[in-house]
Amino acid sequence: MTRQEIQKEIYKIFQEQFEIEDPGLDDDLKDDHGFDSIDAVELFIELEKVLQVNMDQEIKKEAMEHIRTVNQILDYVDQFLPRQKTSNPNLSSK
Amino acid sequence: MDRRVVITGEAAITPIGNTKEQIVKNLLTGVSGVKAIREDAFLSKYIHSKVFGTIDYPIEYDFDRKYRKTMGPVSFYACQVVKDLLAKAGLDEAFISSGRLGVAFGSIHGSPSMQREIYRNFYQNNESAASAISAVSYLKSMVHTTAVNITKMFHITGRVLSSCTACTTSSQSVGFGYEMIKYGLQDAMICGGADEYDLTTVAVFDNLLACSTAYNDTPHLTPRPFDADRDGLVVGEGAGAVLLEEYERARKRGANIIGEIVGFSCNNNGGDLILPNLDGIIQAIRLGLESAGIGPESVDFVSAHATATKMGDVLEAKAIERVFGKSTPVTGLKSYIGHTMASCGIIETILTLHMIEKGFIAPTLHLDRVDPRCANINHATRLIETPIRTAAVQNFAFGGVNTSLLVKAFH
Repeated sequence: MTRQEIQKEIYKIFQEQFEIEDPGLDDDLKDDHGFDSIDAVELFIELEKVLQVNMDQEIKKEAMEHIRTVNQILDYVDQFLPRQKTSNPNLSSK
Repeated sequence: MDRRVVITGEAAITPIGNTKEQIVKNLLTGVSGVKAIREDAFLSKYIHSKVFGTIDYPIEYDFDRKYRKTMGPVSFYACQVVKDLLAKAGLDEAFISSGRLGVAFGSIHGSPSMQREIYRNFYQNNESAASAISAVSYLKSMVHTTAVNITKMFHITGRVLSSCTACTTSSQSVGFGYEMIKYGLQDAMICGGADEYDLTTVAVFDNLLACSTAYNDTPHLTPRPFDADRDGLVVGEGAGAVLLEEYERARKRGANIIGEIVGFSCNNNGGDLILPNLDGIIQAIRLGLESAGIGPESVDFVSAHATATKMGDVLEAKAIERVFGKSTPVTGLKSYIGHTMASCGIIETILTLHMIEKGFIAPTLHLDRVDPRCANINHATRLIETPIRTAAVQNFAFGGVNTSLLVKAFH
């Protein structure tokens, strides 16, 4: 899946699950859209479904500290998705 | 420190309406809110009782997702009544978040429908279902979900108390809220309770042979408190809230004072967790009067718990006779709405406030033939137009908990 395709999926999740319409790529999701830690956990569950991976708890904990914007979410997915395909021990294909 | 505690707002969602006008109209015209049970995929097939005190009118909720995401159905009811309450009460925002306004609000077990969601995932026994048991599931279902969704939505920073004592949940909310203000711990309290539509509660009473089953084809004719042909309680849903305030504060801000709480008692039977207990009930009523510093002759109206069970009504009638004698008018308000569980105490308090304001006592519905064992008290069997100066609102719960609230007209 390309970065653009993943971005499209993330925007779909934001619209359907969080009622956040087209956030700017660098908007502060918490301050600008009320996206909190509970939402982040829900986002991970949705991302696991879309990307067809299991993110283990360590990955999620680390991500929680870094994702404040859509761009950061995309960077994070970029960082882990290729490694997952090359047998990252923390990510397993479903 | 003993301070006067007045009531400066009310709101309710009941099987006979969610506005004062609708509720009063239905009390005056004897309209019941008991309807046929709604079919579900499981329990409704097996439950013998096919009646329920039902909210069957639309409610327009307007809550942002940031609030909805932690709310089960019970919290929708709770937050809606508090929203209505605050809209009418006119409290300023600075006070609401000052730490001097608290919340006492409960339900009998949080949100049972959300708890079922958790167990639906639990029993799937796979990883993705397990990961779906989230913090959100808990926040929606937990026992104090109503109280803290209220504090979140309205930015309330004072004390939080979430009673969870079955049928005395909301009478305790009002009573404990009253005591917090009376003794100076808070200046105002939002007090109440809520319960959502839930057939597991019906199943509990149904299997205990305590539910009404003989009127399944005529739901509007049951429950029948104190009637010889009563055959058990009718579970219902609903919510209610009152705003209690310290009198001087309410007076200074020009609040619309609709009544006063002058006494409260709570005790336990100290024994069986289900069977009503005559001595425990009598003691609770007497302690309530003592707390108010008044004698039984000062009470003009008794709102009885009166669930329409065989033994409960008999013992309550005996207790009322022993304390109040044979002349004080008594009504079983559950004949209009069913037993709305956690919200019964607050809804019955609000109905009583409406009767105080309008100067009437609604009769117990369907009390066509008084059970001789319940006959030695003054049942309101027809509409009585009379001023009510002080009323006693009685509630008793599984677990042997009893409460009595003394509500007074404001002068």
